[in-house]
Amino acid sequence: MRCGDFKENYIDDEAIFPSRFTRFWLALFLIFLIAFPFMANPHLLYIANMIGFAVIGAVGLNLLTGFTGQISLGHAAFIGVGAYTSAILVTRYGISFWLSIPLSGLVSALAGMVIGIPSLRVKGLYLCIATLAAQFIFGFTFVHWESMTKGITGIHIPPPAVGGFRFDTEKSFYWITLLFVILGVGYARNLVRSKMGRAFVAIRDRDLAAEIMGINLFRYKLSAFAISSFYAGVAGALWVSFLKVVTPEHFPFILCIQYLAMVIVGGLGSVIGSIFGAVFMTLIPEILNVLSDMVKSHAPGMGKLIIPFKSVVFGSMIVGFLIFEPRGLAEIWNRVKKFFTLWPFSY
Amino acid sequence: MKKMSFCILGLILFLGPLSIAFAQQPPTIAAVHPFTGPFAFAGIEGSAAMQDVVDMANEAGGINGKKIQYYWSDGEYKNDVGIAAFKRLYAQYTPQVMFGQSTGMTKALGPEIKSRYKVLYSAYTMTSEAANPKENPYLFIAAPTYAEQFGVLLKYIAKEKPGANIAFFYGDSEFGREPIPAGREMAKKMGLKVVAEEVSQVGGVDLTTQILDMKAKKVEYCIFQGFVSNPIATVIKQSKDYGLNAKFMGTFWSTEKQLIKELGPMAGEYVGVSAYSFFYQDDLPMVKKIKEWTKKKYPTIEYRSQAYMQNFLTGLLFVESFKRADKMKGGFTPDNMVKGLQSIKNYDVGGLMPPVTIKDNSIPVGRVYRGNAKTMQFDPISDWIRMD
Repeated sequence: MRCGDFKENYIDDEAIFPSRFTRFWLALFLIFLIAFPFMANPHLLYIANMIGFAVIGAVGLNLLTGFTGQISLGHAAFIGVGAYTSAILVTRYGISFWLSIPLSGLVSALAGMVIGIPSLRVKGLYLCIATLAAQFIFGFTFVHWESMTKGITGIHIPPPAVGGFRFDTEKSFYWITLLFVILGVGYARNLVRSKMGRAFVAIRDRDLAAEIMGINLFRYKLSAFAISSFYAGVAGALWVSFLKVVTPEHFPFILCIQYLAMVIVGGLGSVIGSIFGAVFMTLIPEILNVLSDMVKSHAPGMGKLIIPFKSVVFGSMIVGFLIFEPRGLAEIWNRVKKFFTLWPFSY
Repeated sequence: MKKMSFCILGLILFLGPLSIAFAQQPPTIAAVHPFTGPFAFAGIEGSAAMQDVVDMANEAGGINGKKIQYYWSDGEYKNDVGIAAFKRLYAQYTPQVMFGQSTGMTKALGPEIKSRYKVLYSAYTMTSEAANPKENPYLFIAAPTYAEQFGVLLKYIAKEKPGANIAFFYGDSEFGREPIPAGREMAKKMGLKVVAEEVSQVGGVDLTTQILDMKAKKVEYCIFQGFVSNPIATVIKQSKDYGLNAKFMGTFWSTEKQLIKELGPMAGEYVGVSAYSFFYQDDLPMVKKIKEWTKKKYPTIEYRSQAYMQNFLTGLLFVESFKRADKMKGGFTPDNMVKGLQSIKNYDVGGLMPPVTIKDNSIPVGRVYRGNAKTMQFDPISDWIRMD
C-alpha cells in the first residue's frame, strides 16, 4: 500500500494541486466560501470582506518581503495610492469601478517601482528607512493635494454596480472580494513556481550569487516592488470601495506594521502563510472583542479590567507564535498536513 | 392533510414569537466607545455616562414603562474595529439608536446609515458632516460643531479686541484640520486677521519654530485645535521664554482638567470653549443630580470629565427622542426617531447647557471658560454664546 505523497518527476513537484486529497479539500473549502454569505450575518460578512482585503495586501507584501527579501515599510502608502486612484477615477472621471481596480493597481505599481529604486543600492534596515519615506511622502500628498484628494474631508465613493445591481451590502461585495482574492492568490501561487518566482527566491537567499547566475537584479527587484504594490493598490481600491469613503487617516503608519506582522506570523515566503496571517490578524482581535463583551456582560463593572486585557492576550499570542514557531502558521499547517499524509504510519 | 396541519402549526409556533419579538422590540441604544487606545480617557467616561442615563431613565419608568436596553463595545479608536463593532451590535440587537467613537468612523458609516441602517446616530465627534440633516438625516451631535466652537471663540475675540491678529495652531490630523477653512472665513467676516497657521503632531515637544513664527507675525490670540493636552501646555510654557505675548485658546477636547494640571501655575493663561457645564458647578440641578448619582453608584470616583457630560447629554436626547417617537404612529421607527429629535425645542437639561433646541442636527451654543490656577478648575468668563 502506498503511504504518503511521493513526487516522481518535476512536473508532479511543481503541481499547484498535488494530490486528489488536496483537490478534494480545496473544492470543499470553495463550496464553503460560496455558501458562507447565505449563512452569515452582515457582521460576519464585514469581517470576511476585511479578511479578503488583508489577504490580497498580505500576499503582495509576502512576494516582496518573504520571497524577494526586500523589507518594505511603505505598504500602507501603496494601499493608499490604489485607494485614492480608484476613488478619483470613479468620482472625478466617471470611470467604471471594474476598470478602476486594475488601473489603481498599475498606478500603485508605478509608485512602488519609484520607491523601490533605492533597493538596488541599499538593503535591510537601510531599505526599511528608504521605503518608510513613501509613507510620509504619500501621506503628505493625500492631505495636501486637496484639488484631487479633497484633503482631510476625503472622497465619498459610490458602490460598484453592474447594470441596475449595486454591490452596496457586505453580502454583495463579498463576491467581488472573493473573486479578487482567488485571482490574487492564484496568480501569486503560479508566480512563485515560475522563472520570476525562482529569481525572487535567489535574490532573497544571496543577491550576489543570483547576479552571478545571470539574474538581472535591477529588473527583478523592481518587478517585486511593482507586483507587491499592484496587490496593495488593488487591496486599497477594494477596501475603500467597500467602505464607500476614503480619507488620509485610513492609511496610518501602523497599517504597515500590521501587514508586516501578518506575513511574519503567517510565514515569510509562503502564499498560504499570508492567508493565515491575514486571517489571524483580522479574526483574532474580533474574537477577543466578542469574548470580552461576553465577559463584560456577565461581570458588570469589570469592563475597565477585562477590555484592555484583550490587547495583552493578542500581543502575547503573537509573541508566543514567534517564539514557538518562528516560521509562522504556514509551518504549523505543513506539520499538520504531513501528519495526515503519513497517517496512520507516521513513523 | 395531517402533515400540512403540522407544518402550519410549526410555522405559527416558530413565527409567532418572532413577530411578537419584532412588535415588542424594546427601546435599544448600542454604542461603540473608544474604551482602549489613545482616546480611552473619553471612552471610559462616556460609556459610564450613557449607562447612567439609561439607568436613571429606567428607574424613572423607562419609555412609557418600556425599559431601555443599552449595549456597548470597545472600538479601540480604530476605524476598522469601530465599524466591525457597529455592525456586530446592529446584527445582535437591532437598536434604534447608535453612538460612534470618532470622526473617521462617522464619515465611513454615514452613507450606510442613511441608506441601510437608518438608526438615529451620534458620536464623540463634533464634525460638521454629522450636523447636516440634508445629507445625513440620521446623524446629529449634541454640541456645537468644531467650526461653531471656533465661531464662539472668534466672536469672543472680536468683542474683546476688534481687528486682532490671530493664529490657528492645529494638529496634523482630520480632527485638527476640520474647522480651519470655516475658521478662516468666520475670522474674515468678523474683521479678524489670521496672520499665522501652525501645524504640529499631537504630543510634539520642539515647537520653537512655530512659537518664533507667531512672535514674528505679532500674534495676539492663538486658537488650538486637534489636541487634548500636549503640545498646548508646551506652547504656552515655552512662549513666555521666547517673549510671545499671546492669549491661548482651545476647543472642547482640550478644555479639560488634564490641561489645567499640566499648566499648573500657568493655568490662567488658557481660555477654552465648552458646550457643557463642569462637574464642580454643582449649583446646577443636573450637575447636582449627576454628582449624587456618582456618589451613590461609584463612591471612589471624585470627578466626571467633559466627555462624561457630552455622553450624558447625548443620552438625555436619545431618551427624549424615544419618548417623543413612542407617542407617534408606528413607535420607534427611524423617521419617528429623527422627527422626535428635531422637534426638541427649549428642552430643559438642568443647567448642563442652556435649554436645548436642535438646529440642523446640532446644538450651536458654547461658553468660554478660563483656567484657574488656584482652584485648578475652569471658571466661566462669558455667558452662553449662540452661533445661529
